[in-house]
Amino acid sequence: MTTRPLARPWPAPLQRYAPWAVVAGLFALAAVWPADAAQFPAAWNLGLRAPIDEFQSAVIANRETIPVFQYFFDPLSDLIDVGLRWAEDFLLATPWIGVVGTGALLGYLLGGTRLALLGGLSPVITGLFGLWEPTLQTLALMIVAVGLAVLIGLPLGVLAAASDRVDRALRPVLDGMQTMPTFVYLIPVLLVFGIARVPAVVATLIYAVPPMIRLTSLGLREVSPPALEAARAFGSTRWQLLVKVQLPLALPAIMAGVNQTIMMALSMIVIAALIGAGGLGREVLVSLQRLQVGKALEAGLAIVLLAIVLDRLSEGLSRIDLTDLGRALLAPAAPRWLPARWEPAWLAAARVLRRAAAMPAQWLAALTRRPEIERYAGLVNLGLAVLALVLVDLLFNVGTFPESWRWYLRQPTDALVLWLRDNVFEIQLGALTVGTGPLSDFVTLYLLNPLRSLFTTFLPWPVVVLGAAALGGWAGGGRLALLAGAGVFAIGLLGMWPFAMDTLSQILVTMLITCLIALPLGVWSSQNNAVRDFLRPVLDFLQTIPSFVFLVPVIMLFNIGRVPGLIAAVLYAIAPGVKLTDLGIRGVAGEAVEAAHAFGATRAQTLAGVQVPMALASILLGVNQMIMMVLAMVVIAGMVGGAGLGLEAVNGLVRSETGRGLEAGLAIVLLAVTMDRITQAWAARRQG
Amino acid sequence: MTPGHTANASTPAKIAGRDIWKIFGRTPERVLERLTPEQTSAQILEQTGHMVAVRQVSFDVRAGETFVVMGLSGSGKSTLVRCLCRLTDPTRGAVLIDGQDLLQLAEAELRAVRRHKLAMVFQNFGLFPHRRVIDNVAYGLEVRGVKRAERLERARQMIELVGLRGWDQHFPKQLSGGMQQRVGLARALAVDPEIVLFDEPFSALDPLIRREMQDELLRLQATMHKTSVFITHDFAEALKLGDRVAIMRNGQFVQVGTPEELVLNPANDYVAAFTKDAPRGKVVSAAAIMTPCPPGFDPDGQPAVRADARLEDCLALVAAHDGPVCVRDEAGALAGLVDRLSVMKALIAA
Repeated sequence: MTTRPLARPWPAPLQRYAPWAVVAGLFALAAVWPADAAQFPAAWNLGLRAPIDEFQSAVIANRETIPVFQYFFDPLSDLIDVGLRWAEDFLLATPWIGVVGTGALLGYLLGGTRLALLGGLSPVITGLFGLWEPTLQTLALMIVAVGLAVLIGLPLGVLAAASDRVDRALRPVLDGMQTMPTFVYLIPVLLVFGIARVPAVVATLIYAVPPMIRLTSLGLREVSPPALEAARAFGSTRWQLLVKVQLPLALPAIMAGVNQTIMMALSMIVIAALIGAGGLGREVLVSLQRLQVGKALEAGLAIVLLAIVLDRLSEGLSRIDLTDLGRALLAPAAPRWLPARWEPAWLAAARVLRRAAAMPAQWLAALTRRPEIERYAGLVNLGLAVLALVLVDLLFNVGTFPESWRWYLRQPTDALVLWLRDNVFEIQLGALTVGTGPLSDFVTLYLLNPLRSLFTTFLPWPVVVLGAAALGGWAGGGRLALLAGAGVFAIGLLGMWPFAMDTLSQILVTMLITCLIALPLGVWSSQNNAVRDFLRPVLDFLQTIPSFVFLVPVIMLFNIGRVPGLIAAVLYAIAPGVKLTDLGIRGVAGEAVEAAHAFGATRAQTLAGVQVPMALASILLGVNQMIMMVLAMVVIAGMVGGAGLGLEAVNGLVRSETGRGLEAGLAIVLLAVTMDRITQAWAARRQG
Repeated sequence: MTPGHTANASTPAKIAGRDIWKIFGRTPERVLERLTPEQTSAQILEQTGHMVAVRQVSFDVRAGETFVVMGLSGSGKSTLVRCLCRLTDPTRGAVLIDGQDLLQLAEAELRAVRRHKLAMVFQNFGLFPHRRVIDNVAYGLEVRGVKRAERLERARQMIELVGLRGWDQHFPKQLSGGMQQRVGLARALAVDPEIVLFDEPFSALDPLIRREMQDELLRLQATMHKTSVFITHDFAEALKLGDRVAIMRNGQFVQVGTPEELVLNPANDYVAAFTKDAPRGKVVSAAAIMTPCPPGFDPDGQPAVRADARLEDCLALVAAHDGPVCVRDEAGALAGLVDRLSVMKALIAA
């Protein structure tokens, strides 16, 4: 099963020896190629930079007279700006206990007591950090961006579900939007919307909209056929079908889309700050640039809290399954920790509470003579609670979060950083120097540098291009060979060759370290439930928090350079590798494992001989995801001294050298697409 | 639907199927043009990759009649009933409802027919899980644009009619299968349709519940006389509910007739295989097995049964009486005689 791919790219005898022949050929080419011509010829640079910059200045100079801007982009920009300002003003004008109370109430409605605590306490903590305003600014940005994403994504999802043609047209676009590193959106968006908060919203929106479209379409397509057929048989119009049956039944999927959209939008916070969005992202960015680790940590924690709260709240939304109504209305069970003899009392109390909770709605229904209001007791109570909060504010004039309430993490953190720098950075153990400093040096000297010089000076460019093509051909056949070769060649044409090779060397080292950590962890976790149960929340945490936040603790320990970016990328990318390895091995059919045991294989033999080979496709998928996540970190790594394409892109953005940024961005996309396709084809080959 | 209730043969057909074909595949029209009558559906599938689900089916359903289509799975019966309301469009043919061809209708006209004339009950109930019972029942009226208060009132009546009083605020998931299908029935009846299409409505239910629902349906039909097309794979159910029954196989009708005709004169071995175990006492009438009166027979003082009485209902009388029993028609005139021997012979299908 694992040794014979389903589709053979080459005839069988060739298949066997061709790879070695190709490798030998590449070596020969490397040997004969003149050493002074290893770099991609500078004369072949397409020189996109100048025309792009000219285009940009032309656009900026003539903004008022170009119709597209006059009648489309500028009004749109104004609209977004107004919406953002409105949301910000509204949130900031809300008394702080209003925000806390709303968080707690929403948490209670969507997830129960624990989520109510989380929703209520999180704003308080950010307030204690002195980050009340930036947090609400970020929240306003999220509300506008996610709101627009829903407004755009929902109809597109409906269209994609209704028409196969629309679906086919959208699919590659969405794939592309998700494959591309976030950064790449920023550049064209900047060209069109200028630098300020609006492009930040637009870039976030573009990045976050694909899951909304995908999951809406998926949910609508999976609505159970019997209900649809019945609705049609009773003479529903298409609109009635959509509104009365399909959308309600697709609601869990749609809400899962909102949840993912929120998470993706959150991961853009810091990047959005680069082009002028304020809020928490800016706090992180500024503190990082000034190396104020404690302050960055506080802002990072605020982002994490915001992410967790929004994640759990929207996840609660997606649990509202309209197809499963009725089940939940059955008798409320007492919690497991409650002693049995307390159960009747608990149930009685629950009954009384429930009756009390239903009362306002009943009164309102009686008052207005509209019996259907009784159904919306939850909403009525929410309204009453908000009313009560407003009353409290009017009576006691609460206002914004009190300035005197502060609880800083920054001093202890900064002290810890100093301590770590003094004590962990370099430790003398006899003749041996260990610690994070030497580790960082080791990685730089013995992994990053040799690999970089291998790509930039030892391997001539044609060898790299042909090598990529050969790899593509081996994994996925002739078309992929062409794509891979052309992709790498095009990077050269963009004039990004040395930067791309630097980045490639970093990616390869990062992947090596990530695989060395993630794959054994995944195997271990698949063999041991305790390990899995321990790892799961950790991995979930790593995946939930925005990538930038990793940098804060890493910089504490490893100074600026290529290594902190690398380590942050490793942390960011580990989760899918561990999860998919675990999943793949656990997914291996029980009979195969039993058969191996029946033949007397030891546990290690079973693992190595049966489970891992059979799970290889899943593991390779994990590798693919890890590569994509590492690539997504390239730009972020560039900000903390990662050099390469990331630094070029950052410089392009920050110094508003659009042409330079666009070239680097395109090179990142080319690198991403090439590596994505090759690893995916590899995984697919193993699936056969 | 009640035994003996058979619509007058001279009333015009409420539903008429004319040469209905349904072929599934990439180019059904082309396959249909090239098809020869000799080709079997299996051959067509092998040669063209097209599946002939319904093959040249024609039939009439008279107003108030219950027409049962009985067939095993894959016989095309569900496809046929979907052709009748154009949930599936037939490849060729005509579906006439009150003489109007459904296939010629534009989308909006078809919708009007579905809203006002037709209703359907589904095998897996087809209820809307996100709506309460009452809103499920009111759905047909809702899409028709009936005012809220009015449609809820009507829905409440229907819920009571099917015996679900007090369940109107529950969700389908909270109901048992039988109760869910009662909701499906109420939903179909709520729009006061002229025609009800039943697609294996009771197949998903337990045997006991199924019998209960069949009786319920008979009870409702006794007062409402809706023109019905009822799909089933259960021959006993077909005999119990149908005024006339069509046996379907490989997309074609093998035989169409009253339950009695099928049981007494199966057209071929395929039909006979079903009728072999049929509850003959419930199906065969006295008239079907009576012998003419011998000359000089004096009916006075002899016990009598009606001509349309089922054998099951004659049994007690025949068993208690040594001589022949008179069979009298509706006017009370003597039509013939039955005795123990003829009844027993008919019951054991000699």
